[in-house]
Amino acid sequence: MISLTINGQTVEVPENTTILKAAEQARIVIPTLCHHKDLTPYGGCRLCSVDIHGLRLPATACTMLVSPGMIVSTESPALTRYRRTILELLLVRFYDAGYTHIAGMPALDTQFAHWVNYYGIDMKSAMARKPFRQIDGDPNPFIWVDKGKCIMCTRCVRACAEVQARFVWTQAYRGYDLRIVSGSATTMMQARCESCGACVAHCPTGALDNKMSVKLGPPDRLVTTICPYCGVGCQLELNIKDDVPGGRVLRVTSNSKAPINGDHLCVKGRYGYDFIHSPLRLKRPRIRKYILEGTARPENRGPWVEVDWECALDVAAKGLRNARDKYGPHSIGLLASGKCLNEENYLMNKLARQVLGTNNIDCCDHTSHASTVIGLEATMELIAQSNSLEDVAGQAKSILVIGSNTTEQHPIFGVKLRRAVLHRGCKLVVAHPDFINMSEFATIRLIHKPGTEAALVNGLMYIILKNEWEDHAFIEKYTQGFDEFKQSIEGFTPGHVADITGVDENVLHKSAEILAKERPMAVVWSVDLTHHSTGRVNVSSLINLQLLLGNLGVAGGGLIPLRCQNNSQGACDMGGHPAFYPGYQSVELPATRKKFEAAWGKGIPTKAGMNAMEMMTAAAEGRLRALYILGEDLVGGALDGNQLRRSLGNCDFVVLEAVFESETSRHADVLLPGVTFAEKTGTFTNTERRIQMVHHAVAPQGESRADWKIIKELAHRIKSNGTDGQYTHADWDYGDTSQIMNEIAMLTPIYAGITHERLERTDNLQWPVKNLSHPGTPTLSVEHLRNARGRFITARYDEDVTSAQTT
Amino acid sequence: MKVIRSMVLVSVDQASLEHGAEQVFHAFLEEIEEFGLSDQVAVSTIRDVSIHEDVPLVIVYPDAAVYAPVKVEDVHTIVEEHLFKGNIVPSLLAMMHELVPEIAWMRGRRGALPVQKRIVLERAGIVDPGSIEDYILYDGFQALGKALTRMKPAEVIAEVEKSGLQGRGGAGFPTGRKWSFVASTPGSPKYVICNADESEPGTFKDRLIIEGDPFSVIEAMTITGYAIGAHQGYIYIRGEYPLAYQRIEHAIEQAEAHGLLGNRIFGTDFNFHIHPHAGAGAYICGEETALIASLEGKRGMPRARPPYPTTFGLFGKPTVVNNVETLANVPAILRNGAVWYRDVGSPKSTGTKVYTILGNVNFTGLIEVPPGITLREVIDIYGKGMKNDKRLKLVQTGGSSGTIAPASLQDTPMDFDSFRNAGVSLGSGALLVCDEDTCVVDLAKVILRFFRNECCGKCTPCRIGTLRLYEIMNQISKGEGSLSDLAEVKKISEAMSEVSNCGLGQTASTALRDILKYFREEVEAHIIDRVCPVGACPIAIRKPEYLSVA
Ligand SMILES: Cc1cc2nc3c(=O)[nH]c(=O)nc-3n(C[C@H](O)[C@H](O)[C@H](O)COP(=O)(O)O)c2cc1C
Ligand code: SF4
Ligand code: SF4
Ligand code: FES
Repeated sequence: MISLTINGQTVEVPENTTILKAAEQARIVIPTLCHHKDLTPYGGCRLCSVDIHGLRLPATACTMLVSPGMIVSTESPALTRYRRTILELLLVRFYDAGYTHIAGMPALDTQFAHWVNYYGIDMKSAMARKPFRQIDGDPNPFIWVDKGKCIMCTRCVRACAEVQARFVWTQAYRGYDLRIVSGSATTMMQARCESCGACVAHCPTGALDNKMSVKLGPPDRLVTTICPYCGVGCQLELNIKDDVPGGRVLRVTSNSKAPINGDHLCVKGRYGYDFIHSPLRLKRPRIRKYILEGTARPENRGPWVEVDWECALDVAAKGLRNARDKYGPHSIGLLASGKCLNEENYLMNKLARQVLGTNNIDCCDHTSHASTVIGLEATMELIAQSNSLEDVAGQAKSILVIGSNTTEQHPIFGVKLRRAVLHRGCKLVVAHPDFINMSEFATIRLIHKPGTEAALVNGLMYIILKNEWEDHAFIEKYTQGFDEFKQSIEGFTPGHVADITGVDENVLHKSAEILAKERPMAVVWSVDLTHHSTGRVNVSSLINLQLLLGNLGVAGGGLIPLRCQNNSQGACDMGGHPAFYPGYQSVELPATRKKFEAAWGKGIPTKAGMNAMEMMTAAAEGRLRALYILGEDLVGGALDGNQLRRSLGNCDFVVLEAVFESETSRHADVLLPGVTFAEKTGTFTNTERRIQMVHHAVAPQGESRADWKIIKELAHRIKSNGTDGQYTHADWDYGDTSQIMNEIAMLTPIYAGITHERLERTDNLQWPVKNLSHPGTPTLSVEHLRNARGRFITARYDEDVTSAQTT
Repeated sequence: MKVIRSMVLVSVDQASLEHGAEQVFHAFLEEIEEFGLSDQVAVSTIRDVSIHEDVPLVIVYPDAAVYAPVKVEDVHTIVEEHLFKGNIVPSLLAMMHELVPEIAWMRGRRGALPVQKRIVLERAGIVDPGSIEDYILYDGFQALGKALTRMKPAEVIAEVEKSGLQGRGGAGFPTGRKWSFVASTPGSPKYVICNADESEPGTFKDRLIIEGDPFSVIEAMTITGYAIGAHQGYIYIRGEYPLAYQRIEHAIEQAEAHGLLGNRIFGTDFNFHIHPHAGAGAYICGEETALIASLEGKRGMPRARPPYPTTFGLFGKPTVVNNVETLANVPAILRNGAVWYRDVGSPKSTGTKVYTILGNVNFTGLIEVPPGITLREVIDIYGKGMKNDKRLKLVQTGGSSGTIAPASLQDTPMDFDSFRNAGVSLGSGALLVCDEDTCVVDLAKVILRFFRNECCGKCTPCRIGTLRLYEIMNQISKGEGSLSDLAEVKKISEAMSEVSNCGLGQTASTALRDILKYFREEVEAHIIDRVCPVGACPIAIRKPEYLSVA
């Protein structure tokens, strides 16, 4: 620790702290412009200049490191003079045409305007008399460029290079003519801009702004919530204006305090919000005309009729109840949703098991990540990603990315990996049939034939075993089935594997060496690996690899299946699975079933139900009569859409909750308008098991309703017998989602410590969270291996029928 | 080994080539062969020698006789008379006023300049810059041999420290101290960088040192490497100096071929490699941190110091950055000892200093003198007096970033301390002599335009300050200034010199500040009376407004 004095106040800070940081700690504000906490210091604007006793000239607080006994003063008449001069000089080359909110007035809500105002300068009269650069200077659809407002702080240049690792912006020319340019003065898109808006988020003047909302002015309020796109789970800020009833979203901004992403978002999160207020939203419940008329169901289910909620809910409840009463509870299937809240998925699980009496529940996402779930189940007690995203990006010495187009599917994590390569020399091995963006950053690229992933990984393990690079101690202590596994790998000689995969033997050898020697090593995969008929074998081979190299239970290692949707993980956690109650508690274990019976009442089913694919087969064969789908376009997002169309077409009664019409809604009998993430409060669980609060920001559009309210209403209507008070959680009287979460916590050990109130206080809870004082579990340890020993699975390789068909 | 007693340099710039320089060069080779002088006379080439059509030009050393224009027919006479018999041929000598300064001073070098004392320029113009044998003959590589075989690295540093050698790149930092910082900083590898970016207007000493005596720079860098424990050196040469670049490249090849550079130098296990690098035309890349960024392949922009290059230099490693002239002193110090070196100078300004003289004097060029000489002496003795007998108005010392010394300071001895006390800096050693016809507003405009164009753009006060100051001086020179402009000048230049990141911004307004200190009335005359007393500014004399009402 170093002790120094700032404005007469003694401050103790660690070594290598800047004066600016030390001052912050002492709650002393030093004006800054070019500084941003996420970026390497630049020292260009000179606004943060402070006096240091013994130095001839002032120094910049953002770059100068503290030293013992340093005496700093951050204010003096001379410093004030210099700062005012600096701001006046900046304004000499600054022109705001006044389009942002109040016509003709420069924007006064930027960091730059703040300091201009603070030092008593009138922006309008001090700035340049006329424009000297083009105002809307780039055709990028999302990013507004007005170089007249640029003060050359280079935050955008550094943000693009250091945050997004993309290097679109750079400085060109010099002296008074210095400017930022994209590429070699091309358009941003030609300079390979990914439109993530990091430069916008870091610009202190509004020179870079959000094009879609540049003229919409400031919001009335900000609502912090979670991005509705992928499993990374970035936090974002909805900017709301209350000039219409219920409010409207003006724009999305980032928040430097966001736990995963800080000021960073991807193009989807930052600019893909227009669906919330889309005119195409479903605004009233619909049922098919044949139902109203009481006639037989036509082949194509006939036309829609808009009805009120009472009618729609009655029809939906009646249809499901009829199926149960007529064909038995196992004739009904439910699909939970990776787009909906944990609380809503929990209610789906409860509706299936308690009200309808079936374990036929799964989530749609499993049609894509089913192999991951099944593969992990064999080895892990908890079916989830083992390590944190930050942990992999920050500590892995090498990473195998296989079957994941990371920067497209999970952009913020993909970018974190790019940064790991650029900033700390992490070794990246990218296996993908295509040359993808991650390949550009790879130490080694393996361009294998589609569907040959298992053979590829087996080949790597063959080389590892031949060179005795495996982790003997780990295998000894924490695994089982090693000898059989070793035998099963014998056939995967480099020559043979090269034939199957099309990857050169030498390259195989080099990759195996990097992955084996640069440890901890993490394996990252996603749907490009699981969307195959061989998906399950592919996943098993990866688990074998990590058992072989002892990369489980260590920071920087682990199994990292990147879940597709914002709440894929949560939907599964909440019992959206035919064999598990919430929290991976088996439906077939008598002890757990007792616990749920005590909570929900007698009569819950005893055998595991059908998974999504099995349900579809059953529907096609007439064994499944009714389906209730929550918030998903099952058909549109499926691997084999035709098969699903046949299945749904054959199903007697389909209830769908959705925000838009879709491929799937064509096969529904009742269409209930749910709401988007912006219109409800609850929680999402991201791919790394992090549970985060989602906040209501605008009123539901039209007559649409929060999905949890819809499920609750259906439960009330289907349930014939009321509660008799002897069961703890038989009721469905939830006033809000926090009450649902309390029930989840009571019944789900891995969520035991979760309450909304706690999440509002801290954002860093990754399950298992064992009780109200437990801090969560960023890395799953070896004790989470099934039976405390990871089982090697016999190495296999089967030709992929799906890709074999298409090639 | 050949014993070269004379050297012939033939100019090969574009104009010379057009006038038959190539044929002259070959004629010399033939004639010298003819007279059986091949082992005693070397023939080489030289560039950028003349401003006139009287080319090609031939310089014969050691007499420094400059012949021009030389035709093929003249070659026989020169070889016979001068090289064979030893008599200069007056009828073929060049007219003095037609020579560029750097050639002119060579012409008068022998005898004419009594108090010059040469350490750095000891061999420049005497040896064949392309011949390592020549260099060795003139004591070359003795210092390196001594260092490698008889001295420990720490002893080398101690000797340089004791010599009192101060950096000649502008800041005057003690060289020995810089070396010992780097030697004692943990971290490896370490690097040596020779700063040959020399872009300060009016400064061309480093170029002539390299062009005239490239091996001395190679030897000095190698000694530095040995002293601080580095094995790689870079020499960053201004892009507009192609000849210097070639000479260095050639010298590196020869030194390597002779085992004096590369691996196992002098048969010891010390290895040292030198890599030349050409700049790309930015003045700012002379600043050491910008130079390092540029060498690393980044945009040449200075960064915040500390950390200094001594701890965080090239590729983040401890690095010595020294100016060419600084380094060129080192071999002589090791050869003759620190005490000898101190004796040349004064206690606080040891050794000699190289100055470039330019401006309104009769004789412009390069001199190397011990400290203590006055501006008056420089102008009278070396400058051969003011041109056209005009009166001296001021001297700008140290290039565009330097200070203004009014005529009243011309008897102050030129050493670091006396000048500093008088508020004058020596900087890079450029002495721009201005006579009474110079307008200070015009001078300020020229200087500020230079900085406005060369500022890297990083710091607000420098980037926009240089622009504003130039605009203001421009207004004043057009008779459109107001007195409040001078208040703005004061405010801006104060912020520039106090809170800019690097020397450029900190000193860009120095000259203007001095002008307002010594010549304020002259500036005010432009504003209040709307006249340029010297008549140099484009002032449009306007009638006072009350007259035009009628
Ligand atoms: C704007 C600027 C330009 C500079 N240009 C040069 C230069 O051309 N050559 C040089 O040797 N030093 C130059 N310097 C000084 C170098 O930064 C550095 O101090 C010097 O190379 C150190 O060498 P020395 O200790 O031998 O003087 C410049 C400094 C500044 C601020
Ligand atoms: S565009 Fe914004 S962030 Fe980029 S340099 Fe200009 S003011 Fe700074
Ligand atoms: S003072 Fe000028 S030249 Fe130096 S770093 Fe700052 S802007 Fe660049
Ligand atoms: S904030 Fe420190 S120089 Fe800009």
